[in-house]
Amino acid sequence: MSQLPFDPLLLSVAAPLALAVAIALGLPKRWSVRLAYVGFALPALLALWTWSNYSSQPLSHGYAFLTSYSTGLDGLGIGLVLGLNGISLPLFVLAGLVGFAAGLYAIQSNAERLKIYLMLLLAMQAGVMGMFASVDVFFFYFFHELALIPTFIMVGMWGTRGPTENSYAAMKLTIYLTLGAMLSLLGLIALYVKSGATAAHGFNLITLREILAARPLGETTQHHIFALLLFGFGILVSLWPLHTWAPLGYGAAPSSAAMLHAGVLKKFGLYGLIQIALPLLPAGIAHWGHLLAVLAAVGNILVVGFITMAQRDLKQVVGYSSVMHMGYAFLGIAAYSVLGIGGVVLLMVAHGLSVALLFLLATSIHQRTHTFDLAEMGGLAQKTPVLAAFFVAATFASIGLPGFANFWGELAIFVALWKFSHVFTVIAVAGVVISAVYGLRAAARVFFGPPSEAFVIVSGRHPPSDLTWREKIPALVLLAALLFIGFWPKSLSTPLNATLVSTPALSAPAAK
Amino acid sequence: MSPLTLALVVLVAPLFSAAIIAVFLRRAATLASFVSVVAALVAAGGAFALALGNHRDFPASWEWLRFGAFSLSLGLKYDDLAALMLVIVGIVGLCVHVFSLGYMHEDRSRARYFGGLSIFMFSMIGIVFADNLFMMFIFWELVGFSSWLLINHWHERQSASDAAKKAFIVNRVGDFGFLLGIILCYWSNGTVTLSELDGGRHVFSTLIPLLLFCGAVGKSAQVPLHVWLPDAMEGPTPVSALIHAATMVAAGIYMLCRINVLMVPDALQVIMWVGTVTALYAASCAIVQRDIKKVLAYSTLSQLGYMVAAFGLGSLGGQDGGRAALVGAGAGAAMFHLTTHAFFKALLFLGSGSVIHGCHHEQDIFRMGGLAKRMKLTFLTFTIGVAAIIGLPFLAGFFSKDAILFLAFANNRAVFVILAFTAVLTALYMTRLWRITFFGEPRSESAAHAHEGGLTLTLPLVVLAALAVLGGYTAIYPKVFSVVLELVPEARGGDHTVVLVTSLLVLLVGAGVGFVFYRPAAADALEEKSPGLFRLLSSKLWFDELYTYYVDKVQQRFAMLLNYLEQIFLAGVIIRGFAGLVGLLGLGARRLHVGRLNAYVYWFLFGVAALWLFAAGIF
Repeated sequence: MSQLPFDPLLLSVAAPLALAVAIALGLPKRWSVRLAYVGFALPALLALWTWSNYSSQPLSHGYAFLTSYSTGLDGLGIGLVLGLNGISLPLFVLAGLVGFAAGLYAIQSNAERLKIYLMLLLAMQAGVMGMFASVDVFFFYFFHELALIPTFIMVGMWGTRGPTENSYAAMKLTIYLTLGAMLSLLGLIALYVKSGATAAHGFNLITLREILAARPLGETTQHHIFALLLFGFGILVSLWPLHTWAPLGYGAAPSSAAMLHAGVLKKFGLYGLIQIALPLLPAGIAHWGHLLAVLAAVGNILVVGFITMAQRDLKQVVGYSSVMHMGYAFLGIAAYSVLGIGGVVLLMVAHGLSVALLFLLATSIHQRTHTFDLAEMGGLAQKTPVLAAFFVAATFASIGLPGFANFWGELAIFVALWKFSHVFTVIAVAGVVISAVYGLRAAARVFFGPPSEAFVIVSGRHPPSDLTWREKIPALVLLAALLFIGFWPKSLSTPLNATLVSTPALSAPAAK
Repeated sequence: MSPLTLALVVLVAPLFSAAIIAVFLRRAATLASFVSVVAALVAAGGAFALALGNHRDFPASWEWLRFGAFSLSLGLKYDDLAALMLVIVGIVGLCVHVFSLGYMHEDRSRARYFGGLSIFMFSMIGIVFADNLFMMFIFWELVGFSSWLLINHWHERQSASDAAKKAFIVNRVGDFGFLLGIILCYWSNGTVTLSELDGGRHVFSTLIPLLLFCGAVGKSAQVPLHVWLPDAMEGPTPVSALIHAATMVAAGIYMLCRINVLMVPDALQVIMWVGTVTALYAASCAIVQRDIKKVLAYSTLSQLGYMVAAFGLGSLGGQDGGRAALVGAGAGAAMFHLTTHAFFKALLFLGSGSVIHGCHHEQDIFRMGGLAKRMKLTFLTFTIGVAAIIGLPFLAGFFSKDAILFLAFANNRAVFVILAFTAVLTALYMTRLWRITFFGEPRSESAAHAHEGGLTLTLPLVVLAALAVLGGYTAIYPKVFSVVLELVPEARGGDHTVVLVTSLLVLLVGAGVGFVFYRPAAADALEEKSPGLFRLLSSKLWFDELYTYYVDKVQQRFAMLLNYLEQIFLAGVIIRGFAGLVGLLGLGARRLHVGRLNAYVYWFLFGVAALWLFAAGIF
């Protein structure tokens, strides 16, 4: 079967959104929870379906499943255009899987005010699905905001730290991310206006690409717009030194929000750069690429890498390590070749899965140790071998062990980077050692060796039990995806490569 | 079955076993060990069938990743070198699996242990088959992971956890260079496929082979990255035999032989000296160790140094006609020594495992003694192992060590002298170990009650002992390995006499001094007679102290400093100042903040709807 009687993309956005609205309108709790399963599972299933059927779909303008919907705003050039190309497909799958895992984990967490929690998470889920399915730039941005705003509320209301810290984290998150979003919006609007596209053309990528291919923007204009997009999106992806919201926000965020944000939503910025900024503003990356690489290599990889080593708090380790790995992604973008960008997209998917898994497990660890402080843990593997096995797998995935998806992304970026700069390649590869240091340090502190005195007391009071099935299933979904892509990277790289080699700016880069 | 299918079965069977154990057999330890042993049996049987089947270089390559012009393939390169290595891995792997059945019998986490052995076998076989450097790197990292997993087996011990972490990180330092070397090789030569590099279509570069050699320095534990191997003895003893003596640590030498066409004289010089220094340094450390496994660990380091030095010595002078012949003899001698060492060192480690098992997990040789009478078979086989490693004529080590000494004699006299002196030390510390462990009176309760283990413990010892005796006779190897073994340099004429005399003299001096000087006692004779020298040797030249100082005092403090700066500047002053400004602006909007979440959500929905209607021009 290669056709469905409905548009899978629209349904994957509409289903969670409709459920969120239904819950807001007063669906009883029991039904809210039951239907939430559907709301989280449906996008995941549809994402998997699109993945397995992508190759058999006819492509139009490089997109599969391309459909336009009238929004009543066509006069303004805003039309809902949904479709997937080789770049968005992997991320759409990522959004479906991580959303499903985050949803399952949220349901089992039995949070206070679970209904509202699930409602917000469903809205996030709809947002992240829509973000990657949108060909229209307005909706691309709109869906991002739809997912972003619940994040702020969730950090403030269900944060895992004290109330003061939660609200500080929520505020900082809001300020930073709103600033980033505003800058990038400014860039997008400038792009629209300068391109000379009219409402009749619409504000979608296909027409923009056609218009700009015929009449490219002047170099200086490209530099300016690219700067807005680069730093706007850069804040959202925690480009050093604009990253400090990330560890703090993730440290405070409830697990499911952290999973969806760090795993999926954060990729919005990179996705925007790859899908919009790079192909439409090729002169921009040539101009800014070097600065970007310096910030990413020295800031994200070296400085943040070392800072990660000094963390005492498990969630901070995960948060900072996520910032560090974004450095690889930025370097891949700076390298600006089919290989580099391909590596970035693979790494985005892999990092999304592995960081979501790490946040999930960090919360499960917290439930057993009643602390995130590494100094107060130790020896947990003796009590919870399965949890330890999952955490070790997630750690090795995130430090780029072959067999997990992350390896392919990092390797492709490293190889591509050599053509861009030898120095940055050396720094990036050195990051492999740094990440091994902090990754294994954290795993050892939590699980191995004799238990700390503090943990002996805690585990005496609440004897820790191993991972339950309700925790295991979402973790298994993520781990299975990491392993599947790790063993069979072609499943993602083939469609990705096809799209990338047909991008004119990439296959014949502008002379530098 | 076609050779290709067979090769794939050999490769995948252990992976399959590991997956089954991880998913289904976590609690069924006995079944798990059975599955793992069957996988090892398949691997060993397949290795022999492939080697003797005389199929070589069957084409097999699958593209695994493609972006633009970059293509990464997984493929099999099965030539005589791979055949020899695969047989070694198969035999030693199977012996260790069987030995583990007995040795780990009472371990609670047996399933994880056997799963780890299987994942190791898969990774190691992957290295052997790898037809390109990217693929080799993939499996290279995987053996590092297996090594981590198995050293960490008794993870409740702080020392085991630390050792595992150290091993992985130190290996990653080596892999840092290795990966850069692969990338450089890719862009310089346009390919990293071994057979395409063989064709001579590659650039001359000193940097590429040296960067690739970094990988070998890490994996084969050469100075200065040797520090992880002695610590790795925290793992169960059969693991030490398989991974940290016979196979994984030898992968560095195998890799060098794989890339021998890339070698240039300058790089070989560096490699030769690194190996020579390691050989001497590690042998001197081995003299003062009290832990039976630590003696063997330093001995392994030293022997690996021998192999690396042999490789670096290159081909025999005068034969340096074509570039292809640059390292012929060196590679042959290194592989020959790798082969015999795999047998006798695995034998020694399993023998020490049998001793440790018999003595109820006592590892201090000064608390053993008198085991010759109590563990006769172990004593006998261990003695064969000792005789082989110290180069007693007509045993395996004698031939392979002489090949290396001869090569050194012909190519570099300084190296020859150092390696010969190392051989004296080898004979000395092995005699010391042998004498103190097995003779005299039992010096502890556990040694007094030592007993021989069951058949699973003794059978592998007998098999390996036979190989340690026979392994040196190149004539008995099936003809199929001849391409590799023909490279082994053979001394003739006057050189032959010099090398033979040296080798015998070295043996007599080393073993003689060891035998006379060390008597079975509760204390180290060297410590009593020459405490200064003992302390110097015990210091191991402060490598560990230096690294610990770097990690604790430099790296960690630098990390703390950066963290502190970030908190102060980025997170503190700048952002809070900015936040204060925004807070002022927000005062006006405060009236809307009623503090109930639903209210915010409704406001939000209302805003979206209003905006939409406005934009659509409805009002």
